[in-house]
Amino acid sequence: MVPEEFEKKRNAGKVNRVIDKITRLLGCDKISTRKVDLLSYSHDYWPISLHWMLEDRYPSLPHAVIWPESKKDVKEVVKWCYKGNVPIYPYGGGSGVLGATVPERGGVVVDLKRIRSLKIHDKDLLVEAGSGLNGYYLEDELNDKGYTMGNIPQSLYPSTVGGWVSTKALGQFSTKYGGIEDMLKGIEMVIPPGGELCLKPHARTSTGPDLRKLFLGSEGALGIMTKGWFKIWPKPEKRIKLSFASDTLEDAVESVRKVMREGAEPAVIRIYDKIETKRHFYDYDEIFGKVATVMVIEGNEKITQAEKKIVKEEFIGTEMGGKPVDHWLETRFNVKEAAEFVPMGVVFDTIEVAVNWSKAMDLYRNVVDAIKPIKGVLFASAHASHFYPQGICFYFTFAGTTPRKKDAEEFYQQVWKAAMEAVLDSGGTISHHHGIGRQRRDWMEQELGEAYSTLKAIKERLDKKRIMNPGNMGL
Amino acid sequence: MPGKWDWLKDEMGGVSKITKFSTVMKFLKGRVSGPDDMTKCAMCPNMCRHACPISIVDGKETTSPAGKSRVGMMVDHDVLPMDEENLYPMLMCLSCGCCERWCPFDFSVSDILRAEKEKGVEEGVIFEEFQEMFDNLGNYGLVQGEIKKKKSYPNQGDVLYLRGCEFRGDDEKVIGKTMGAFEKLGLDAFVLSDEECCGIPAYNAGNTQLFKKLARKMAKRINDSGAEKVITSCPSCAYAYRKLYPEFGLDIDVEVLHIVEYLEQKKDILGKKKGTVTFHDPCKLVNGLENKKGMKDVLEKIGLNVKVPRRSGEKTFCCGYGGSTVCRLNEYLSSKISEERLDELSSLSDKIITSCPTCKKAFEENGNLKVYDIGELLYELL
Repeated sequence: MVPEEFEKKRNAGKVNRVIDKITRLLGCDKISTRKVDLLSYSHDYWPISLHWMLEDRYPSLPHAVIWPESKKDVKEVVKWCYKGNVPIYPYGGGSGVLGATVPERGGVVVDLKRIRSLKIHDKDLLVEAGSGLNGYYLEDELNDKGYTMGNIPQSLYPSTVGGWVSTKALGQFSTKYGGIEDMLKGIEMVIPPGGELCLKPHARTSTGPDLRKLFLGSEGALGIMTKGWFKIWPKPEKRIKLSFASDTLEDAVESVRKVMREGAEPAVIRIYDKIETKRHFYDYDEIFGKVATVMVIEGNEKITQAEKKIVKEEFIGTEMGGKPVDHWLETRFNVKEAAEFVPMGVVFDTIEVAVNWSKAMDLYRNVVDAIKPIKGVLFASAHASHFYPQGICFYFTFAGTTPRKKDAEEFYQQVWKAAMEAVLDSGGTISHHHGIGRQRRDWMEQELGEAYSTLKAIKERLDKKRIMNPGNMGL
Repeated sequence: MPGKWDWLKDEMGGVSKITKFSTVMKFLKGRVSGPDDMTKCAMCPNMCRHACPISIVDGKETTSPAGKSRVGMMVDHDVLPMDEENLYPMLMCLSCGCCERWCPFDFSVSDILRAEKEKGVEEGVIFEEFQEMFDNLGNYGLVQGEIKKKKSYPNQGDVLYLRGCEFRGDDEKVIGKTMGAFEKLGLDAFVLSDEECCGIPAYNAGNTQLFKKLARKMAKRINDSGAEKVITSCPSCAYAYRKLYPEFGLDIDVEVLHIVEYLEQKKDILGKKKGTVTFHDPCKLVNGLENKKGMKDVLEKIGLNVKVPRRSGEKTFCCGYGGSTVCRLNEYLSSKISEERLDELSSLSDKIITSCPTCKKAFEENGNLKVYDIGELLYELL
């Protein structure tokens, strides 16, 4: 946390003068101090900030919102904010679920969605995209021209390319195409005190530590991404859909471990525990009460056939055909339950973590067992959503209603604490692809150990005044 | 077969009773309806952002689809006053309905915010930019006010051709060509000499009283015309007559079709000339009239080589001038959206076809290419 004195100095500083200066430089259309805009940027999709909104509380207001249209604009913003000691919160699609863009210390929110250039480099199989480019817009344009990037997160529709890089995100098809870290080949950043750097999109380079990785997942704490170059693929020629019903979660998890070990890489694999199978496949009689697994294998015809053979040989469970996969494909972007239940006072969230195979089932049981007994919890469940030869991502869901004499935020944090401690005790990592934000920052030290000091030192060197998303990730 | 929420009822069965428990149970059993539509929209992470032209081009959270509902909620909850500054973001909507296709609740943001827009007008929060339109509609029954130069067309026949404000005010020659095309197609078409606006611009701006006044007049005139069929050039007019009027208890007694819908019904309309074209599907044709295929099949039926844009049919993208409000309150943004759309279309062909007077106007005002309405295209090809 930034010491109180530092905060006072900042608040006594030149926020309004900086805003005036930026207004003169960028023009009125690119900046606003209107209350309606400040309120609109006081939250992202962090359940805590949604809860504030439903209760008509807005504790984290910025002083201004800025919509730069070029790298030059971004440089001016960083330069003058750094001079005036004004916090900057880079903003993409606002679909982050951990509060990474919540302007808790005032300052300016920099929304990058007007920086949305797009250029396909066919021969190099690269796409060059502005950081504010909408995810669906990018993938749809690529599909139209015969390619895919393969990054299809549930937030594809609202999220941006810059948001994917900032949170080190990944999508539903990651088991084949990888996470955003596997796709990002080059990056252009604006960094304090207003400079820029560009790491070019070479096929590979051995030129010291890979600095692209430094900015991946940095959540706006080290600078602002303005452009990225990403790996793309020719659109797959073949798609195979498979699904299975297993008696136990252990059977399904063990089957996928063997599939991965054999070298098969289905683009999509989802294993739902018994609760989530009932939730998602309630109208499939033969699956109800079992553990459902859906898979999509895609790519070259011959390779997909070989992968299908491996899956069929290794899977412990009854094959259920393509219909459950079609159902999954049709419903995978449906997030209506949160919109229905949260306003009724239901506390609802998801927690995604990763763990190596050897500890996978222990972690699953430990987290569910840690959440479920908490008074007020209605259910705790999980599905496994992303897979590697070394391990697995479990995506937990919990919902509850606040017990009497307890505050909703207190109840929410109680569940999160139980889950995070269970994950760390079970040898897992506290985040798989949502990032850290403000919700997970308290566990960063425990997660990274000494490496957290190194991260803080890097932050100190690049952003001495700590204007870049201050407080996020505990930095 | 288990019900949708049986799994949750099972899980809740083992939970001791806690605050809100009964509300949730009642919802699961269908005894309460849950949150209101605006709240549900506000609680969504903008799962239709990619389809919203305002959101894609302007990039502001405040005017994103869910963002508009959040502003509506803030006004409703008295966090913000109902004034021009706070009504403005809610009017940054093209009423294109592109959001609805992607919404799990089938919401259209334009409809979700209707009550707020009406409240604004009722409370006297009327933008100067709308006043002229309201005055013209009230005094002359037309968006542009009095039209001095009036060309005469037959005023009796079988098929009533409703021209719409835009062509009557700004592009009279398209009307002549469309009437010519109808003749070539063997239609006995006529016009109403006292045709007024369908009222949809007032409806879009929240002035429902004015809309109702215009709707009552036009419903009567159409029903009294003796026509066997009505064809419109403007899909918004067809949407108003066919979908909106009945919601206000005003039924049109004869079939109302947009010109593309009429052409779809025709078996043989092969044109004499060939050529390569691209097209822009008007949002009110695709989303309002639910003609999901748009214009592609009709253009191919005429015998043209059709280049299909990425955003067509259900995925169409507004021309920027839709909805009557954005083009009046923020001309710059409307033009930017038009330019975005024109970039896509002009990369496919230098001949752009549309079937909406407003879309044609938007493209011609923001680009250098000739944009054809399907009526005038037909006249030239048949």
